[in-house]
Amino acid sequence: MPELTYREAVRDALAQALREDESVFIMGEDIAEMGGSMAVTQGLLEEFGPKRVRNTPISEMAIVGSGIGAAIQGMRPIVEIMYEDFLTLSMEQLVNQAAKHRTMSGGQVKVPLTIRTQGGAGWSPGAQHAQQLEAWFVHVPGLKVVFASTPEDVRGLLWSAIYDDNPVVFFEHRTLYPLKGEVPTELEPIPLGQARIHREGEDVTVVATGRLVHEALTAAVAAESEGISVEVVDPRTLLPLDEETIVGSVRKTTRCVTAHEAVVRGGFGAELAAVIQHGAFDWLDAPIERVGARFAPLPFAPAMEQWVVPHAEDVLAAIRRTVARS
Amino acid sequence: MASEVKLPRLGQGMESGTIVRWLKSEGEAVAKGDPLYELDTDKVTQEVEAETTGVLLKIVVADGEVDVGTTVGVIGAQDEDVSELLAASQGGNGGAPEAEATAAATARTAETPSGSEPQSAMGDSAPSAGRTGERVKASPLARRIARERGVDLASVTGTGPEGRVIAEDVDSAALLAPATSTAPPVTTAAPATPSTTSEDIEVVELTSTRRTIARRLTEAWEAPVFQLSVTVDASELVATRERLVELMREGETKPTVNDVLTRVVASALVRHRPVNAHFSDGRILRYSSANVGIAVAAPSGLVVPVIREADRKSVQQIAAARADLVSRSREGKLKLADLEGGTFTISNLGMYGIEQFVAVLNPPQVAILAVGSIEDRAAVLDGGLVIAPTMTITLTCDHRAIDGSEGAEFLNTVKSYVESPALAL
Repeated sequence: MPELTYREAVRDALAQALREDESVFIMGEDIAEMGGSMAVTQGLLEEFGPKRVRNTPISEMAIVGSGIGAAIQGMRPIVEIMYEDFLTLSMEQLVNQAAKHRTMSGGQVKVPLTIRTQGGAGWSPGAQHAQQLEAWFVHVPGLKVVFASTPEDVRGLLWSAIYDDNPVVFFEHRTLYPLKGEVPTELEPIPLGQARIHREGEDVTVVATGRLVHEALTAAVAAESEGISVEVVDPRTLLPLDEETIVGSVRKTTRCVTAHEAVVRGGFGAELAAVIQHGAFDWLDAPIERVGARFAPLPFAPAMEQWVVPHAEDVLAAIRRTVARS
Repeated sequence: MASEVKLPRLGQGMESGTIVRWLKSEGEAVAKGDPLYELDTDKVTQEVEAETTGVLLKIVVADGEVDVGTTVGVIGAQDEDVSELLAASQGGNGGAPEAEATAAATARTAETPSGSEPQSAMGDSAPSAGRTGERVKASPLARRIARERGVDLASVTGTGPEGRVIAEDVDSAALLAPATSTAPPVTTAAPATPSTTSEDIEVVELTSTRRTIARRLTEAWEAPVFQLSVTVDASELVATRERLVELMREGETKPTVNDVLTRVVASALVRHRPVNAHFSDGRILRYSSANVGIAVAAPSGLVVPVIREADRKSVQQIAAARADLVSRSREGKLKLADLEGGTFTISNLGMYGIEQFVAVLNPPQVAILAVGSIEDRAAVLDGGLVIAPTMTITLTCDHRAIDGSEGAEFLNTVKSYVESPALAL
């Protein structure tokens, strides 16, 4: 199997879709000549030309709005919002328009729009360029929400997002772009709404998203040396959620930790905890632990930034709490 | 203005108490000083008096165990609206609403372990309406397993955080306990148990008094003890008591032999301070006056009310104090203060015809005297046999604080005083 970085995997999915399907095009700020601020779209302008790889003005509202229009007209646009922090500027289009048209029109129109965006701490971007806002969109019926954590997943899920007939907010994590991983030779679409069990275990399930999937896997190795067997599950699609896999895992292990880089309060972990306690109530042997960032705007100073966001040791500490004895 | 009735701290170390029953009902007028409810603590059941005058508007906790400081009722003016007060107090009683101010949030995040937030403990402090006794902390999984296997959660020792019963605890308990008839058969080979059905077994829940007895006497068992016995001629003790009864005036309490004994033992104690002591926190605290505890069989279990400064009281004063303490013990109306501060204990089973016995220490006291019955026995006097009323007294000593010689010297003084009570003056 070939090895790709997470960045190359995103680019590969985009390129294959552009290559095979005339209705696909991409647009965003500086994605053409510059190749995007995260260099994801490098080389695409050269292959597909300026009509299908389009630079936009600096207006997230306009980017998403024109994407919605194109989607309704039968295209499969992929728009890039440079930082997910800037999604806030497009909320009207995303929440009140994209998410609503299909049901409000009684199915007469569809909005097959993919909104790619990225975020995440770890490189001192400050408070306005590193937020993890995925939970905001999980609250909106009519949207789908994806957060991929590996090269294989990001390629297969992006393909499914592009070909979903609903608007999909597709989250990538800034620090995962250089991450290398094996991918199938041929692109294999990964259905939306399907979780991935990264590692099987017996004592506690860590349900993690994004960067925290990797922190959880590191914590699981450390826990194993302490005699704690950890299962790591990545929902991959946050909306719709693969409740069956997640609840099933917790019913098996009887304990659960949720982990994401977003702040704990009102985070996606809260939704997971609610789903799990309901589905696995009689199987729970310990309170569900939540791991996430401290409730603070992300500091710029690297030492403070590292202190605010969660790491493998925080996941490990939570794992230990679930199996703790008095 | 309505005021909350909060559970008072009646003595050092009191963390909680059990409300037995209310003596006033909702809507009833109460005056300051009126007995309001009965409170059962570790040591004693007593009536708690109202601190304000008004109408008992609300009984918040009708019965059951609550922490010190918990609002258990509200007294105020007739028809006063207390809903706001109650809402506020319920916040204070646990599960305080989280302050959402940024400052508070920042402070809280700064205190919590890196990258995680404590889960609310609301579930644990939720009232357990409709249940009797304390709510058992158990995980949902542990509860389900207990339900399926017929294990009584209250009998399982929790090893999870904060003593929570977790699945493994129930598993272990299920292996040890016989399955009840409703439970599916336990397939694991369980150790043989007596072939009794649950109907044969009378289950007695421990009162708080009984719990305290169990705890304190188990503690006492940790002390390395030795016992010393001596048989004494009780003729003078009995005679002294008879003379005192003759001298009794109208309205005075009739002294018992034990009252006289208490008095002379108190004199011996202040003369032998190593015996009149506490062993506590790795130190010995020797006392200059003798606060003598007397073991009383109360309906709820053994209690040991204290006769203070018995070395400075007359036998008549001791008798009066004893009569008051014993009658209040029987009625369950002792106060914590009646039970605190004892420096030595006398346990007398003579009235049951017990000739001799060994008493268990009453920590932190370092010695206890077990008094047997006074019987006419053959005794040797001046080389000849005589019949004399004698009794055997046995001193249990904590060897960490007292050596054999010290115990023996004390016991010899007691013997001298019993045989010649006038020496105790």
